[in-house]
Amino acid sequence: MSAASTRALSAEGLRARARVLRAVRGWLHEHGYLEVPTPALVPSPAMEEHLFAVPAGDHFLRTSPEFALKRVLAAGLPRIYEIGPCFRDREHGAWHGREFTMLEWYRAGAGPDEVMDEVEALVAAAAAALDVSPPSTWRRTTVRQLFEQATGIDLATAIASDLSEHDEPWDDAFLRRWVADVEPGFSGGLFVTAWPASQAALSQVRSDGPWPAAQRFETYLDGVELANGFLELIDPTEQRRRFAASNAARAAAGEAPHPLDEAFVRAVGRMPRTTGIALGIDRLVAVLAGWEGIAPGRVEHPAD
Amino acid sequence: MYQTSDIRKGLKVEIDGNPYIVVEFQFVKPGKGQAFTRTKLKNLLTGSVLDRTFKTGETLEPTDIEEKEMQYLYEDGEFYHFMDTGDFSQVAITHEVVGDAKNYLLEEMVATVMFYKGNPISIEVPNFVELEITYCEPGVKGNTATGATKTATLSTGLEVQVPLFIEQGEVLKIDTRTREYVGRVN
Repeated sequence: MSAASTRALSAEGLRARARVLRAVRGWLHEHGYLEVPTPALVPSPAMEEHLFAVPAGDHFLRTSPEFALKRVLAAGLPRIYEIGPCFRDREHGAWHGREFTMLEWYRAGAGPDEVMDEVEALVAAAAAALDVSPPSTWRRTTVRQLFEQATGIDLATAIASDLSEHDEPWDDAFLRRWVADVEPGFSGGLFVTAWPASQAALSQVRSDGPWPAAQRFETYLDGVELANGFLELIDPTEQRRRFAASNAARAAAGEAPHPLDEAFVRAVGRMPRTTGIALGIDRLVAVLAGWEGIAPGRVEHPAD
Repeated sequence: MYQTSDIRKGLKVEIDGNPYIVVEFQFVKPGKGQAFTRTKLKNLLTGSVLDRTFKTGETLEPTDIEEKEMQYLYEDGEFYHFMDTGDFSQVAITHEVVGDAKNYLLEEMVATVMFYKGNPISIEVPNFVELEITYCEPGVKGNTATGATKTATLSTGLEVQVPLFIEQGEVLKIDTRTREYVGRVN
């Protein structure tokens, strides 16, 4: 690559982005995925407590296309994807933008390991489009193992005060240590599996292991969080319960509740066993190109 | 009180009874959780570096740091004396606090003095200063390409390596961050 800036918008950055987008769409098409555009304007934004939607009139800008794509899955299309803008308020920094480009793809009948294989292949295709080497190795390991290696603490038995000197809930204490002591040691390609059940979001939880583990995997590339995959929850009763719990937490924190998307909850009950994944395109381009953030590949308004 | 969204490079905060400056920061939002800001902070008294991670919603304390442009007056063997160019008040600063800056201080030069709770804690001189050579071996003409150097003593006592063609009495531009000769001042 040329000596273009690794921190600021450049023509070279936009070319890299375009090449990656073409390669990603090509890979998905070759593997039988249908591109399905869904509305950016949604009646109900994502469920998770720590996502903040940007309001738009009587609707919201979507935080992800997940609800709409799951309705399409429930209608019988087994392999679908969407690439498009998503919006998350209160997120900004070298690796974050309030508006960003998300790729989500869903594969009915597949489990997490098959989709992890696909991530490896898709990243390799994107790397080839930029004439750079993909990660030479990919590891698949659990949250618990990584946490113990970095801190010596076994998460399965740790209580909040073992994790943090701050008086805070277990999840916050866990994530504070994760961000401060575990994540900074990551390199290469890494899939982190078996998340605490409290951080399941829209994934299934299994109870036959050492702890109730969310069937969710986070993909890291050279230390940057790139993608989040779920063995998708297909139980509408549990889905309704999680919505209520998230809204209760949001209310307790003084935030407005998000409206329940009934069409989505009904669709959850009609979905086949599916693994789905959301991948940040801006970050994929930036990490492969070796930038110090997502800026070189994004046109932004000067004030943003 | 600062919010985590106020965190920037150069922000000065009080932590555990010490003044710190933010040297690096990164907003991180792991997976499905709370957002955090990971920071690297430098202790303004000791220079030691601290890693701290702040959760969104947590606050940071401002610190009592003040920076003043002050003119260097003289050194009396014990203290370096500086004058506030605004109100003409003077302050005496120890050798220890002046530190490496002593190599660049000439009378009447303006430097930035940092105060913590009213006490001077460090001096910052400009990135480039101009100093006269008080001693060096005579210049060698025509020898500009070999990269060979000799030692020159400057008016502050600082010794730097200079090219062989440089003469005693010349004024040099010095980079105070690297202690290196940059060029001649004509």
